Amino acid sequence: MADLALKVTGLSKSYGNKVVLDNLSFTAAMNDFSVICGKPGNGKSVLVRTIMGLEPVDAGQIIVRGQDVAKASAGERNIGYVPQSFALYPHYSVQENIEYPLVLAKATDATKKEAVERVAELLRIKDLLGKKPEQLSGGQKQRVAIARGLAKATDVYVLDDPLVGLDFKLRERLIDDLRKTQEELKVSFVYMTSDPLEALSLARTVMILAQGKIVQQDSLDAVYDTPNSVASMNSLGFPEANIFPGELAGTTFTSILGSTKVKMDSASSNIVAGIRPEGFVIGSGSTSAKVGLMENLGSEFAVYFEVEDTNLVTVVSRTDNETLAKLKSKTVSVSYKPEALVLFDSNSGMRVGQGVSHV
Amino acid sequence: MYDIRLENVTKKFADFTAVDNISFTIPKSSVTVLLGPSGCGKTTLMRMIAGLEIPTSGKIFFGEHEVTNVPTKRRNIGMVFQYPVIYRGTSVRKNLELPLLSEKLTKAELDKRVDEVAEILDLTSVLKRQVEELDNGTRQKIAVGREVARQPRIILFDEPITNIDLTSKLELKRSMKELFGRLQQTIVYVTHDQTEAMTLADQIALMQDGVITQCDSPKEIYEKPNSQFAGWFLGNPGMNFVPPQFINVSGSKITSPLFSQTIDFGPKASSADTFGVRAEGISVSTTETKGGVQARVTRKSIGAGGQYLLDLAVGSLLIKARVSHSVGRSAKDAVWTSIESEDITFFDKSGKAL
Repeated sequence: MADLALKVTGLSKSYGNKVVLDNLSFTAAMNDFSVICGKPGNGKSVLVRTIMGLEPVDAGQIIVRGQDVAKASAGERNIGYVPQSFALYPHYSVQENIEYPLVLAKATDATKKEAVERVAELLRIKDLLGKKPEQLSGGQKQRVAIARGLAKATDVYVLDDPLVGLDFKLRERLIDDLRKTQEELKVSFVYMTSDPLEALSLARTVMILAQGKIVQQDSLDAVYDTPNSVASMNSLGFPEANIFPGELAGTTFTSILGSTKVKMDSASSNIVAGIRPEGFVIGSGSTSAKVGLMENLGSEFAVYFEVEDTNLVTVVSRTDNETLAKLKSKTVSVSYKPEALVLFDSNSGMRVGQGVSHV
Repeated sequence: MYDIRLENVTKKFADFTAVDNISFTIPKSSVTVLLGPSGCGKTTLMRMIAGLEIPTSGKIFFGEHEVTNVPTKRRNIGMVFQYPVIYRGTSVRKNLELPLLSEKLTKAELDKRVDEVAEILDLTSVLKRQVEELDNGTRQKIAVGREVARQPRIILFDEPITNIDLTSKLELKRSMKELFGRLQQTIVYVTHDQTEAMTLADQIALMQDGVITQCDSPKEIYEKPNSQFAGWFLGNPGMNFVPPQFINVSGSKITSPLFSQTIDFGPKASSADTFGVRAEGISVSTTETKGGVQARVTRKSIGAGGQYLLDLAVGSLLIKARVSHSVGRSAKDAVWTSIESEDITFFDKSGKAL
């Protein structure tokens, strides 16, 4: 396909006996914002390093614009790179920092000038070009680091968790900047993160990375609405989805939260269930819950509660006065919308069915 | 217990004014969070309350006693820092006991104090463990517990959760909330994280450029920001602002591309320069509605609890709307928006709410 920017197939990488990337495959389209999202410790850094050519692969193909570059050097791959840690050269001006990768690539002065102007405009740092890094705020430094990564004029960029550790309001701005930048350049962004809210804010396409594999790749909407695995449901969603055990008898699923008629797509004898926070209904049903921390997110509360020692979470709008009043007492009744219940096989972690109606 | 009173407190570092003539009372027996972006002066203000910095000018009182120049160790305050301070090579119980040993308590009194804080902070099961064996979040709880067990009248927290790993953060927030509910002390807590502030505070003192711009309950400061800055800083995303070029003010009547007709907002609107509306204050319908203003969806993303955030363009005016999952999922190119007038906050030229 001509519009594929990056196609990774059968990528494997082990260190001794430890398998880090396990026959991993995905595709990233041109003019798309793809987010690879997974919990820490699932092989994210190694994946970035193999794509960039900083680490050799044991097996597999890394096809950039139709060419397998798995054995090519980092410089030959022509992929833009925004690394996680953003060390700027302290003695160089902002302009020189941005130009640096182009100097290494022996670009002409005209090319450098054009590139700096382009990225400075995009990231709103034109007035900072003459300054030294020490004169910049944390957010400005981060923008310069992103600009340096984007200065290389190419059509595929890998961004490795560039907003990690930045404060809230800065991230909010940079998320808008990154989306706008990708839309204006019409290039392919492949963005790695373990922060679910960041993934939800940035992605058009989502890939879920778990145990060295991409377990699901689809549009943001599709992955959110129909996660194919526990890892998908768990990695993409804020607050994190609730995962809890239960028993299946025929087509009835029973857990600490009661019984529900379910529709099974595949047979399974060991089940874990998942419910997104918004799947709960406070103040209905016969299950009793102990109310815990209410985290104030501004427009809503993340309300943590316990049912028989299992910790669960739901969300309540700040304007939902009726529910907020109920939560003032230490215990409330709780139920869930049956269709919000998703069942997974506890061995494979894959989706096997979902709730239909209450018993 | 006593309150903390600041009288014209200023702190300068060379030609930089970190805290600029603040007069303010931090009420006793409650939790006051100093919130603001980096460089706003919140940490300097706390350090002056602690006695770790001396004001360039102005006075600080604990209750009736002036403490402006009193050394830290004589202020009877507890302090918890960004990185947990623990005594290595000893048990959790020993860590909690150590500062109490100078107080000449009976064994029974000592145990009671330690067991009480351990219970509140959920440390009972690890009292016998060595501190090295525990994760950073638990270590921070030990540091908190040690300060609390001393029973000082004021406890200061300087971003105690900021550097704790993501998995322990929630547990620590839970413990702090539980603890603050039980303590009678005056608590001052510094953070740049609005969720932490909104969750833990009785009142949030919002700071910008060395001054406190607003001090109110979390609900009040979110719903009734007194400045554009407060509207922007609280909320994820911050408030939408409709700039002057999209507003036509004629007496108390206002016309804007966001309104299907001219609206009379009463006398306060006559000096309006901009107005703000929160993302959740914009109602969105995917079918044409009577009185609805047509907008183009330029981007979609998902937020907390599965709600959608829509980036909308009304002509060249760009705004963000927070909508339910089902509306967001089905929103295509064109949608129709409406705003209730009570969800609108007007600001004058200087950014002050009217």
